[in-house]
Amino acid sequence: MAGDEDDPAKIQILKDALYDAARENGSEARAFSQKDLLDFDIIPADNPMLLLRVVQRLCDDKLFVGITQATGLAWRWRNKEDAKKYTSLPNDETMMVYAVIDEAGADGIWNRTIKNKLNMHEAVVKTCIKYLETKGYISSMKNVEHPNKKMYIKANLRPSERATGGPWFTDGELDTAFISELTMIVFEYIKTQSAYRGSQAGGAGAAAAAGSGAGATKVPKKGVIRGGIDGGDSTSSSRGVKRTATDMSTDDIVQQQSKHPTAATKEKPKVFYPMPAGYKHYPTVTEIAKLIHETGITNNTTLGEADIQQLVDVLHYDGLIEPIRVNGRKGYRVTRAAKQDASSFQKRQQERQQAGGVGLPVGSDDLVGPPPTANGLTEAPCGRCPVFELCEEGGPVSPSNCVYFLQWLGLASSEENTNTLAGGATPNGVAGVAAVPGLVV
Amino acid sequence: MLVTKNVAELCSLLIDELYGELPSRIFSILLTRGRSSIPQLVQYTDMSLCELRHGLAVLLQQNLLFYQVDSNSEKAMYEANTDHAYNLLRIGKILEMVDSSFGAPAKDVMQSLLLLGQTRISDLVAAYQEKIDQAHQKLVKEEADPFLETNGVNGDSHAPKRLDLVIKTTAQLNSVICRLVEAELIDVVHAKTFLTPDDIYRDVEKEVLDTHFPGGPKGGKAKIELEEKIAEGLRKVRGESKSLKRKLEQNGTAAKRRKLFSGGGLSNGVHDVELDPALDPKQVIRINYEKCLVDLRNRRLVQCVTDTIGDTTAYVYGVLLKLLTKQLPRCRSDPMMDITEDDKDDCGKGFVTTDEILDSLKTSVDLSVGLGKAAKDKFSSRAAEKVSGHPPKKKIILEAEIDGDASADEEEEDEGSESDESDSDSDHKPANGTKVKFAGVATKENRLDRPGQLRQHLLLLAESNQHFVRHCGYNDWTVDFVPLMDVLREAELDSVIERKSGRQGLRLVRILRAKGKLDEKTLPNLALMKKNEIQQKMLEMQTAGFIQVQEVPRDNKADVKKSFFLWFVDLEKSINTLLDTSYKAMLRCVQVLEVIRQKEKDVLLLTKRSDVRGRERDVMRKEYYDRYARFQANEKKLFAQVMRIDDLVALLRDF
Repeated sequence: MAGDEDDPAKIQILKDALYDAARENGSEARAFSQKDLLDFDIIPADNPMLLLRVVQRLCDDKLFVGITQATGLAWRWRNKEDAKKYTSLPNDETMMVYAVIDEAGADGIWNRTIKNKLNMHEAVVKTCIKYLETKGYISSMKNVEHPNKKMYIKANLRPSERATGGPWFTDGELDTAFISELTMIVFEYIKTQSAYRGSQAGGAGAAAAAGSGAGATKVPKKGVIRGGIDGGDSTSSSRGVKRTATDMSTDDIVQQQSKHPTAATKEKPKVFYPMPAGYKHYPTVTEIAKLIHETGITNNTTLGEADIQQLVDVLHYDGLIEPIRVNGRKGYRVTRAAKQDASSFQKRQQERQQAGGVGLPVGSDDLVGPPPTANGLTEAPCGRCPVFELCEEGGPVSPSNCVYFLQWLGLASSEENTNTLAGGATPNGVAGVAAVPGLVV
Repeated sequence: MLVTKNVAELCSLLIDELYGELPSRIFSILLTRGRSSIPQLVQYTDMSLCELRHGLAVLLQQNLLFYQVDSNSEKAMYEANTDHAYNLLRIGKILEMVDSSFGAPAKDVMQSLLLLGQTRISDLVAAYQEKIDQAHQKLVKEEADPFLETNGVNGDSHAPKRLDLVIKTTAQLNSVICRLVEAELIDVVHAKTFLTPDDIYRDVEKEVLDTHFPGGPKGGKAKIELEEKIAEGLRKVRGESKSLKRKLEQNGTAAKRRKLFSGGGLSNGVHDVELDPALDPKQVIRINYEKCLVDLRNRRLVQCVTDTIGDTTAYVYGVLLKLLTKQLPRCRSDPMMDITEDDKDDCGKGFVTTDEILDSLKTSVDLSVGLGKAAKDKFSSRAAEKVSGHPPKKKIILEAEIDGDASADEEEEDEGSESDESDSDSDHKPANGTKVKFAGVATKENRLDRPGQLRQHLLLLAESNQHFVRHCGYNDWTVDFVPLMDVLREAELDSVIERKSGRQGLRLVRILRAKGKLDEKTLPNLALMKKNEIQQKMLEMQTAGFIQVQEVPRDNKADVKKSFFLWFVDLEKSINTLLDTSYKAMLRCVQVLEVIRQKEKDVLLLTKRSDVRGRERDVMRKEYYDRYARFQANEKKLFAQVMRIDDLVALLRDF
């Protein structure tokens, strides 16, 4: 028996068999317990000692990784290439550092965490990392949550979503242009789908055109931003025919146009009307996600429903849309439908391009939706006054020296030329003469 | 009303504007010093007794003072009535409202009342009689009210010219007053009108204690009883001012008169007018601002619906509100007086039926306009017609998700089959086209009859996220004013935030409002904004008072570096800040006007001369006239702005 066990050839065979069995029975992430390994029926007579030796050999070869679970010790297999990398490392320290980085997986690991985990000297860790980096085994990465921390990741892994920040980040930076473009599209979609585009005059012909348009809302539409910076190129579109984003808002009209060429040429002033109560087809997040997916606007980023939900939530917080539940179906509709800009998306897009290009004004908020409501306070100079808190009669800023009010009242410039009118309106003109000096001072 | 420094200054300035410097000075002294007697006032103001009495008389006449006579010493103590002083601002709005809903004669009467302050009916009649006589004698020379001309508050300097056309006989005057009394826009001045609410409360409490609980209330039950008795007493005092209305209502012709009135105020012939009973000439009447506010609130709501939904729906809403609030005496019920069921008696049955609305709609209004159209199967009539018999519980309106989730889940199951079926229906609709298409003819066929259209508008209002209307029975509609006004207040705050901090600022505030207290780290993800941008915005908004920050130490050491900083929104506080900001802005407008006046003093002095007045354009030199015209334009603009801000104040404070 003893000789049998010590036979290196036999162990080698068992080792290979066990490794292959583990590979067949699960991914690299699966942890095999002792029982699992014995159940492969590779180890003769379920000999735990033999298993121990075999597993030990596997661990030495870095083909197995021992981990501790709640239920006890367990092992994961590691593929041969990775194992080779381990074995090629010059010393234990480097190996340990590599192991820690490997363990961190796609999230990456901060170099200080490595140091603390291994309780090594900083210089040692540094040299190890340097070695690994030059070998091309690991690479440094950036984490959006901690942009200042130096993080490392295995070279053949892509940083996880948590580290990159999900689809909204490009190179560790929040891609505001991308977001604003996409938000605009989502808003446009919700707007056109949740309100009824009718003509103001209510002429029969126009009503018919718009009526059919509103009816055809179920068809998911294609839209690609013209000249948009993200995914604007239509090559990703499988249909081959480039359709501009205008189709999204005016698809109905365009379809109509093919049937009645005259319908679209004479455009009447359009306005949005709210849908009657109980409308069941307010767009849902799922529908919006489908639209975004099908149009291929985001050609190399995949957006899940949760991501779209994020966009929709932002629109909701902006007060542009509101959730509405009909029969337990949660859709979204545009707020203040009657105040929405009913001109076509294309037209506005063109205006924007003339004004300075798509995606340029990241900070400007008034891209989508109607202008914000105003009230008496915001209209008056005081409502927007930057020094309102300081304004006090007798203080450095006061009603008597307020420049904003003068501007607002249009008195700013042509004020001081009154001293030329020394005379009064009437022959004696006492009032005029007396007051003018006071006015100039 | 909470009197801040800004309010106090604003009120004094308003009084100065309307009634001159003397009352204004007394008023501001009263505001700063509190309740004072005449000797004290003499000391504070350095005025002669005679001047002081003059000033006090003016203030009293205009209802700007409270006074209380001490029963022992027989000395009167005076106190400023800031509410009424502030209401002076609303004169213009009230007049316009009366004009549009009661007609020009009513407006004229209201205007006279506003000018004269509280007035005995006989005096008012005499004043009008004189004017009528003058008109009859073809005397064009009217005594124009001097202050009406010089300041632009009422903006109606043509009133004297039209006057002789507006009210033709004293009988007509009588009828107009009757109508206004019935509408509660005018009520009666009685002995207790001039007591502060606190004094009234004390008096009533004392009386109740003396008569019912000579030994003081003992035990919880007695205390509750005492409270009820006091509330009852207070209601009685309040009801006294409605005595005239009650008298009118006892009169059998009330219903008929009202009918005539709703048929169009202007078409009143003289013979109709005769039906009204003559009013007791000794009664002293004044304008009831509380009721005026109810009407102003209605206008505000209609305006809001115009903005969010559309004109036609807003019109329907206006009619609904008018019917609903006919009997509503005030916007906010008094927590002390209107505890329980009495409230109901006060404001009628509390809902309006579809038929009532239909009957009151103008026939010229096309109800088919203003709503979207789509195929019938795209609607769930069950969801639309959802009846909610109870007012919503507190604090669910804006975050409708909580509410929606709860109620919708129940529905999901029982409605599931229905919606499924129609969904599949609509899926192959585009294929056969005709079903969806509303050709001109089809639209007409599908067009609902008028009640149906009306119903659509009402349902839309009920479905709105603001809950403009509650569908409380199959044909019954009501409005829950309290939560609705909360929503509007919030919306108003939002619009200020949006204007001041941009849409992104608004986004952050609304996130905080929805989620509660949040750490800075969680915000970027929710708002999809850059971290540094958020930090900047948050600080900016904190200084503006829109958001607050709370520091939560991680351990006992309270290390600042380790502490959490949680942002949150204190709605109440933000609104109060906004309110005071509004007062201040109004104050600044009035002050700027004063500054401009000082600047254009020479011109204005000129226009005061009797030989210039009234023919400024002909007499004055062109440069001077231009300056005068520009001044007038600016004055108008500033006052208009004050009114606009008052809209905001009214919403935040009074509605």
